[in-house]
Amino acid sequence: MSIEITTLLFFAALLFFLVLGLPLTFVLGGVSVIFLYFTWGIDSFYMVTSQMWGTMESFTLVAIPLFVFMAMILERTGVAKDLYRMMHLWCGGLRGGLAIGTLGICAIFGAMVGISGAAVVAMGTIALPAMLERGYDKKMVLGCINTGGGWGILIPPSILMILYAMITGVSVGKMFAAGVLPGILLMVLTVIYIVVRCYFQPHLAPALPEDERATWPEKLRALRAVLLPIGIVVMVLGSIVGGITTPTEAAAMGVLGALISAAVYGKFNWPLMHEAALRTFKLTGMIMWILFAAHAFSAAYQGMGAQELIEGMMTSLPGGPWGIIITMMLIVFLLAMVLDPVGIMLITLPVFMPIVASLGFDPIWFGILFVINMEIGYMTPPFGFNLFYLKGIVPPSITMGDIYKSVVPFVLVEIVGLALIMIFPEIATYLPDLLF
Amino acid sequence: MRPIHAFMNGVSRLNDFIGRWVAILVFAMFVLLLLEVFMRYVMASPTAWTNELTQLLFGVYAVMAGGYVMVHRGHVNVDLLYSHLSRRAQAGVDIFTSIIFFIFMGAVLYFGTDMALESIRGLETSYSAWNPPIWPAKTAIPVAALLLLLQGVVKLLEDIMIALNLEPPVRHTDVKSHDNNPEAL
Amino acid sequence: EEKSTTWRVQSHWPSASSSYEDSLVRLKNQIEERTEGRVKLNLHEAGALFKAQETFNAVSRGIVEMGTISPAYAQDKISLAGIASGLPFAFRNVWEAAYFHKGLGFEDMLREEAAKHNVYWSTDKVYPTEMVVKNPINSWEDFTSLKIRSSGALQKFLDDAGASTSYLPGSELYPALDSGVVDGAHWGAAQGAASMSLYEVAKYHVQPALNIAGTDVIIVSQKALDKLSDKDQETIKQILDEQFWFRTNEYQYKERVALSKAMEENGVEINTLPEDVQQRLTKAAQASWDEAGERSENAAEALEKMKSFLRELGYL
Ligand SMILES: NC(=[NH2+])NCCC[C@H](N)C(=O)O
Ligand code: NA
Ligand code: NA
Repeated sequence: MSIEITTLLFFAALLFFLVLGLPLTFVLGGVSVIFLYFTWGIDSFYMVTSQMWGTMESFTLVAIPLFVFMAMILERTGVAKDLYRMMHLWCGGLRGGLAIGTLGICAIFGAMVGISGAAVVAMGTIALPAMLERGYDKKMVLGCINTGGGWGILIPPSILMILYAMITGVSVGKMFAAGVLPGILLMVLTVIYIVVRCYFQPHLAPALPEDERATWPEKLRALRAVLLPIGIVVMVLGSIVGGITTPTEAAAMGVLGALISAAVYGKFNWPLMHEAALRTFKLTGMIMWILFAAHAFSAAYQGMGAQELIEGMMTSLPGGPWGIIITMMLIVFLLAMVLDPVGIMLITLPVFMPIVASLGFDPIWFGILFVINMEIGYMTPPFGFNLFYLKGIVPPSITMGDIYKSVVPFVLVEIVGLALIMIFPEIATYLPDLLF
Repeated sequence: MRPIHAFMNGVSRLNDFIGRWVAILVFAMFVLLLLEVFMRYVMASPTAWTNELTQLLFGVYAVMAGGYVMVHRGHVNVDLLYSHLSRRAQAGVDIFTSIIFFIFMGAVLYFGTDMALESIRGLETSYSAWNPPIWPAKTAIPVAALLLLLQGVVKLLEDIMIALNLEPPVRHTDVKSHDNNPEAL
Repeated sequence: EEKSTTWRVQSHWPSASSSYEDSLVRLKNQIEERTEGRVKLNLHEAGALFKAQETFNAVSRGIVEMGTISPAYAQDKISLAGIASGLPFAFRNVWEAAYFHKGLGFEDMLREEAAKHNVYWSTDKVYPTEMVVKNPINSWEDFTSLKIRSSGALQKFLDDAGASTSYLPGSELYPALDSGVVDGAHWGAAQGAASMSLYEVAKYHVQPALNIAGTDVIIVSQKALDKLSDKDQETIKQILDEQFWFRTNEYQYKERVALSKAMEENGVEINTLPEDVQQRLTKAAQASWDEAGERSENAAEALEKMKSFLRELGYL
């Protein structure tokens, strides 16, 4: 069987069982096993457990339960609620104000974590109920968290950038520096989108009703609500920048901050902690089982000869260097709909990089395009991880269909950002050139 | 019907019970990471074991979550088509797709056992500077797979009962389930 | 027309690592050319099919036909792996390690142990492992106040010798070194440090080497070899032997080029350990040798062989 046909069957099977409602992790795992059987023989099943063990051993993923736990505590104790009340009072008449505030928090969160799963689940826990409660449209809320959560891999530190640097040999420091302005650009574009859309469709993100608007003393008093969250941010970011902790260890500082906040709120008790721990366990388990199966799926696909497929596609390319770059982006975009980011990197980068270099493009700039593409991939149906992470925390009234539909405008905004960075490479290269 | 109901409730209860204890490991991971930061930054003497122990605990924590998450219906699916089906139709579809589930979990159980046995036979250690035994963590894979597989059997039995218009047992976990907590909204 | 077989090859080098191109792609080209296309290699990026720690198992079971590893990843199977992955402060020159492997029969001992697991073992090259640090080491106090990112046997050695070590995954090494969570690390030597951008954040390259050893190994499934004609088996083994000498030599050349580039472009300086620091480290090292020798009779024999060699050279 040729790799083209295998690929078609492989992905068709994936979609088929996904649509039938089997949980993602079992679809990925089961389909991998079946295809391994037919292409590689029964011995290769060993790969599935071996990949599982490898995933259990990745230290950087420890950040997931810790950041989720932090968010659970902040939500349960009421810290998050007060924070959103404060934002609402201050935003007053601004339509979409809370969504914009959420994006700001997402950006800060992005600077605290190097992976995206933790940010999506944490922000979903903190921001989603607060915004729905205040009458925000669910699609606006979902899209906002989905897109903002993804910035964890674009705003440094970023595990995916480090992986990109390890595979391609570019400087990690330059990659980190290069991510800053594009991160800000995406944020500005998303904010513009929200402001414009909500101006014309106020029901999507209602402003605070006139009679509930706060007086200045009330606003100032509400400001106290930011003290604890700011304290946590300072603890986490400060310990990363100050050389006290690695990005993964910093997650523990976040939990410490959340526990202190719980104590300040007088909510430091075992029932609350245990409940937070159980919800954390359930969400982390959901994420990790998706990763277990996703890594097996990528490895199975790689073992079947995915790389030859990409190589084949690269030999018959449309005109000119830009045609090639755009085709590469398209391939990554399509793969990202069904594969995990680490898998995509392992499959495509060894084929892409020599071509990118021979065309004379800056690999740092290409890396930023690649990472943004991954980020889009995290939130594109059917398989974007963030969609599933989010589904894991939303109330039952929100369906996967809602989540799928919610990302469309936000994906378009990110594509606009991607195009801007392609047209003006300086957005990515200015800072690294300045600093290194 | 009684023994089947008892089996189904027993498995769910077992997974829930184990999950409630394993969930507490998040505190251990938190304390260990802070301890390492403290030892390295304040005492200037980092340890060889805290990060590795955290990683091992995390691995066990993550893999053991499988069954617990299933009891609480936390393994996420795409409900685009699914949510439009009747309860019986859903059960029918689930019976069909459970083949994929059992193929996956069967492979993980079989090869996970193989991997664990090999590790236990050699009392495998990590060969790091700390060099702890890692066979207990590897053994967690087949144990977790078995628990998840059993929960899958429970789900299958439940679906068969629904499809046959029989009454499935009241799941004791439904009663005190903390997922989709209305308070969270 | 003869039919060709394609081997899956799991690398433990990411493709940015110089050895991916220099060792693995070279091997692929040699084998494909000299078997006249009867054996083809499909190379897979580090971790793509199997993680480094699992690659020996996978090759041993014949799931992938070929792989690259460090001996440290096969420690539970190969009792000589501790010695193969490099005893600290034993050899002083690369040629000594090469002679130990090929002239004194250490490679044959490794091959014999690996054969029990249906694996054909062939050391890719011998080369030094060297540290980079943020501040120069000018005294024993400087050394003991270091926080070093290390791993495996070297970590234990550095720890026992009096430095503070932590294990961090490779993906966190750069930020940790940058922000000062650790102030030193080893990742191969100059080429390795350069591939991880470590010279951007640590400007001192420490010499002499922590160890010199056959830290990169090519492993081949015996099952896969047996399926080939005798002639092709012979050709592949010959290519692997030539690879050892060629790569050991070429690596030395590239090390020097990488180091001088780092000195020029990143302002890196060579930090030679003071004599007394070297002596104390050598002393601490010998305790760790004996531990490696306790693994098995084979290991004891290999250690004795090495010690008598070092005595002969006047180092002991
Ligand atoms: N195997 C790994 N190291 N995976 C890291 C990927 C991070 C994960 N996909 C996330 O979004 O959080
Ligand atoms: Na980040
Ligand atoms: Na995707």
